[in-house]
Amino acid sequence: MTGIDTDMIARYGPLLLAGLVITLRVCALASVIALLVGLALALLLRAGLMVVRAAARAYVEVMRGTPILVILFLLYYGGPSFGLVLDAEPVGILGLGFYGAGYFAEIFRAGFESIPKGQIEAARMVGLSRRQIVYRIQIPQMLGLIVPPSVNQIIILVKESAVLSIITVAELTKNATQMANETFAVVEPYLAVALLYWVLIEAIARSGRWIERRVRHA
Amino acid sequence: MPEDTLARSVGDQDTAQASARVIEVRGLVKRFGDVEVLRGIDLDVRASEVVCIIGPSGSGKSTLLRCIAFLEVYDQGDVRIEGRLLGYRERDGRRSLASEREIDEVRSSLGMVFQHFNLWPHMTALGNVTEALRMVKRMSRRDAEESGLDVLRRVGLEAHAGHYPEQLSGGQKQRVAIARALAMRPRVMLFDEPTSALDPELVGEVLAVMRQLATEGMTMLIVSHEMGFAAHVASTAMFMDDGRFVEQGPPAQLFAAPQSERLRAFLNTWRERSI
Repeated sequence: MTGIDTDMIARYGPLLLAGLVITLRVCALASVIALLVGLALALLLRAGLMVVRAAARAYVEVMRGTPILVILFLLYYGGPSFGLVLDAEPVGILGLGFYGAGYFAEIFRAGFESIPKGQIEAARMVGLSRRQIVYRIQIPQMLGLIVPPSVNQIIILVKESAVLSIITVAELTKNATQMANETFAVVEPYLAVALLYWVLIEAIARSGRWIERRVRHA
Repeated sequence: MPEDTLARSVGDQDTAQASARVIEVRGLVKRFGDVEVLRGIDLDVRASEVVCIIGPSGSGKSTLLRCIAFLEVYDQGDVRIEGRLLGYRERDGRRSLASEREIDEVRSSLGMVFQHFNLWPHMTALGNVTEALRMVKRMSRRDAEESGLDVLRRVGLEAHAGHYPEQLSGGQKQRVAIARALAMRPRVMLFDEPTSALDPELVGEVLAVMRQLATEGMTMLIVSHEMGFAAHVASTAMFMDDGRFVEQGPPAQLFAAPQSERLRAFLNTWRERSI
């Protein structure tokens, strides 16, 4: 038999869309965590105290050196041993978020380092506080530089969210697998899901380009 | 004399004495690793005085200025701004690094102008000048802009208030940088080679602004290669070499009759280059 069974895809449309909603939710929350924790880490990587810098560096290296699946297994299956009992979805959000933070930390660090030291000294000489320097002088100038790699990182995060299916989060890939198991079809479920991922990622990429244009003009 | 007038006059005297020495540096030592860059510097800058520090590259001039601003942490000695120790706190004879807040408070008497302007490129000229007025002095946008425009007028750049740094010439950038420092109403202005990064034809406009400041009575400490400017504007010139002051005095005297071989050699090189 050849051709694609579009009826089957239509039948399973609601299941796939429900998966898409979960993927969207998980990725949005994980991205927020990754961005915020990543920014905090980037600031800690530049802290005055060496112990603080070393701890932040260790975090980044551990997260970058560990596969996301291992982190998810540790949190989900190993969590109860440490008194951490969470549902699969929160584990997925936290795992992806804290994992992504390691990458965002490096993106932000490069951004901070791109601002010439003289500008910071000038800011200190007129009395701006450290916090004001970060928010008023550094971040606004960093945006043009950090938006493209950050968008890229979010796209990677969305694609890696497929791994959450393994710890039973009912996201897009998990629901596609369910469809495959129920219909014994392979092409339709995974083709449909590939298309949905592509639409989602294209939307993120386009938003990224829009933001990039905005910050460049600002 | 009525009591309150007397009290005020005594108070004024105190203030006058305190303000007499705006910057007081004693035994300043700064090391970078094993290299001693400043080897026990003493320096006084009094109110309305214009002091020019000259000397060959690598003599420690800029490091001295940066230590006086506490942009470099000095290792030994004192830097006092209007009588207050900058950078350290002293308790029971022990010295520890001051908090950022304490440093900011003492440093608020200082304005600094850098060789490479160090303007914030994402803000207009007016934005650069008003940023600290709004963020540090908590002025309303309207008041800050009014005051910012006043200062830009003083440096002849009111018409360029809306320009971004990349739209300005080097000389204009440096004048905006001067305006940014002046806006905070410092008691003394530090200039770190303010004309060294400028094309020769743009040097004049910056020196003109500095000369104007000097005539208005601004206290200034300048590290510069502009010997002509030092000769005409400075009340004291100080020649620095190898982390020490070798000679100091009124610039006319220092340049006309150098006492040390080192200064003679430096002046000769400069004269040869200037021809």
